[in-house]
Amino acid sequence: MSERPSLWWIDWRLSPGSLVRETIGRFLLFCLLGFGLLSLLLSGGVSRILADRYAITAVLRAEVPSGEGEGLARKAAALPPVRSATYRDPEAAWKEFLRAYPGLDPLRGTGENPLPGYIEIRIRPDRLTVEDVELVASALGAVSQVEQVLAGEDWLPRLLRAGRLASWACWGIFGAFLAGFFLVGRLQERARAVALAGDFAFLAERGISAGRLAFLRAAGAALAGFLLAAVGTAASGGVLFLSLRKFPFLERVVGSPADLLLPRTIASAVLFSIGVAMLCGAASLLGWSSARSGRK
Amino acid sequence: MNPGARRILSAFLVAVVSLGIFFPSAVAGARDVAAELRRERGRLLEMKEREEKTARELTEALRMEKRSKGRVDQLQERLKRQKSLLSRIDRKVSALNDRLERAEKAVRELEAAHGQARTELRRAEVVAFFGQRAGAGDPWHPSDRERERHFMRVYLAADAEGVARITRAREKKEEELTGLERQVAVTEKKRTREKKVGDTLLSRQEAERTRLAGIEREKKRKEKELKSLRAKIARMESVVSRVERQVKERERRARKAAAGKSAAREPAEAPRRFASLSGGLSAPLAGKVVTRFGHQHDTTFDVTIENRGVEIEAPSGASVKSIGQGEVAFAGAVSGFGNVLIVQHGGGLFSVYGRMESFLVKQGEAVKKGMVVGRLPESPSGKSVLYLELRAGGTAIDPTSVIPLDR
Repeated sequence: MSERPSLWWIDWRLSPGSLVRETIGRFLLFCLLGFGLLSLLLSGGVSRILADRYAITAVLRAEVPSGEGEGLARKAAALPPVRSATYRDPEAAWKEFLRAYPGLDPLRGTGENPLPGYIEIRIRPDRLTVEDVELVASALGAVSQVEQVLAGEDWLPRLLRAGRLASWACWGIFGAFLAGFFLVGRLQERARAVALAGDFAFLAERGISAGRLAFLRAAGAALAGFLLAAVGTAASGGVLFLSLRKFPFLERVVGSPADLLLPRTIASAVLFSIGVAMLCGAASLLGWSSARSGRK
Repeated sequence: MNPGARRILSAFLVAVVSLGIFFPSAVAGARDVAAELRRERGRLLEMKEREEKTARELTEALRMEKRSKGRVDQLQERLKRQKSLLSRIDRKVSALNDRLERAEKAVRELEAAHGQARTELRRAEVVAFFGQRAGAGDPWHPSDRERERHFMRVYLAADAEGVARITRAREKKEEELTGLERQVAVTEKKRTREKKVGDTLLSRQEAERTRLAGIEREKKRKEKELKSLRAKIARMESVVSRVERQVKERERRARKAAAGKSAAREPAEAPRRFASLSGGLSAPLAGKVVTRFGHQHDTTFDVTIENRGVEIEAPSGASVKSIGQGEVAFAGAVSGFGNVLIVQHGGGLFSVYGRMESFLVKQGEAVKKGMVVGRLPESPSGKSVLYLELRAGGTAIDPTSVIPLDR
């Protein structure tokens, strides 16, 4: 035989059955990880949840008319850290108040409303920091029509700290999954190397170096991992997109589906795929190495 | 004896007496008749004195009546003002009572509102407490809870302010109520006092009316008495005059019979007779005639009085002179005229001077024209009045027609 055989996808040629199973498993895992990654990217951990829960309330003076209140809300919405600013007139405030304290309804037989109107300001998830909150609060406090600004001064730092911890936990879980995948992939690679040890010895006797064989196997695994991760992430992105469109309440937790198409999201997905490819290649080399040395 | 016969007899007696006075030498043995005539004249003087006294009493009664009527009018005016004042006070009391009622109602309503507001505030506090407790376990909506807590504070503050406002309003109303009650008490007290004053005025008015009625009765009685006395005096004077005329007629006849030469003179010529007195006539004193001769209407008593002489006002203590020569026929006091001096000028002519203080001549003494016969009394006002009467043949004539007197 004058023509030298290609060593690309050698494992597919030597053991296609097991590789199909592995590939299906890895694809499902990458779909899951991709879904988690995109969700974390869009939500910023728990920032979006916190941003949805947290709001700055600018209590207006009693004599401020509705038109003026709405104008103030529009001005507040123009502040950079602000995601939305909604004006509630005294009547709406009274109804909300009565919903919170239904027992008060019969006490006000005269129907007199002692409550003023207010503006509810919500901060962008990525700007939910003490500094930005103080910036908005001080800007609102300087307005003469605003009687008081309620910005959760006493509990806001605790809330943000808890949010940071929760976000770190989410990313930690994501990282743990990746680490688990790496360990499992290394074991799979080692097991396959052990199983195909005879075939590899035969190739070595025919002049193919072990290093070249290991490299080509790792490159194949990395390329396969990249493709699987990319496809899996894309698929999970599609599922996430559809889910967000179908269940709008998820937007309050995850975010807008349009954010999936942002360059930074796509770049993050590509980076994730590259990372996965590297993990796959590393797992292949380590599995080969441990199989050759007889270590586990 | 019937009254008519008695009058004729008395007239006869008076005539006889008169003859005795003026012509003591004409009838022999007429001394008793003259004495009788003097007595009758004395009675006449007494009657005039009584008339004067009654007139004074009547004047006094009229003065008292006038004063009493003035007092009654004054009391009526005061009573009217008192009634008006009481009416005003009643209206004020009524208005105050209305305001009091309204204020009491307002206080009651405010108390009810205050109680309800306090109850509602307590209930709101309870609701707030339980609401906060429920909200404390809900960290999922921290900003909503924060806003609700703030609004609850606003709500409770508004409720507390409402309670405070009602409390202030109630206190203010209570103060107003107290003030009104005080005003009502003061006004009631004033009303009672003014009513008492009104009652006193009413009783005084009643007493004054009773007194006035008594005065009016007295006045009527005096008027009647005066009228009766004047009628008697008039009758008496008429009789005296008639007797005088008869005496004069007899004298004329006697002279005619005795001398057979002098012609009879008509009474209508009396003023000419006075003017033809030897030596002429002069005024008794310098003064002004204040009461004229003849029929004069008295506005005080609303009666027409016949004056037989004139009254001349002159300085107090002025000397009174005889208007012509003659002889003093009488000098003494006469009721209603004070001290009276009668001068007989002869030929049936007499001049009478009344209201004198003293005489400077005696009865039977001859006087000449211009001779001082007496003086007028002293008076605090510096003025006194002389009564001057002229008689010719028993007829009174107007002195101003024969003597130049300042009218």
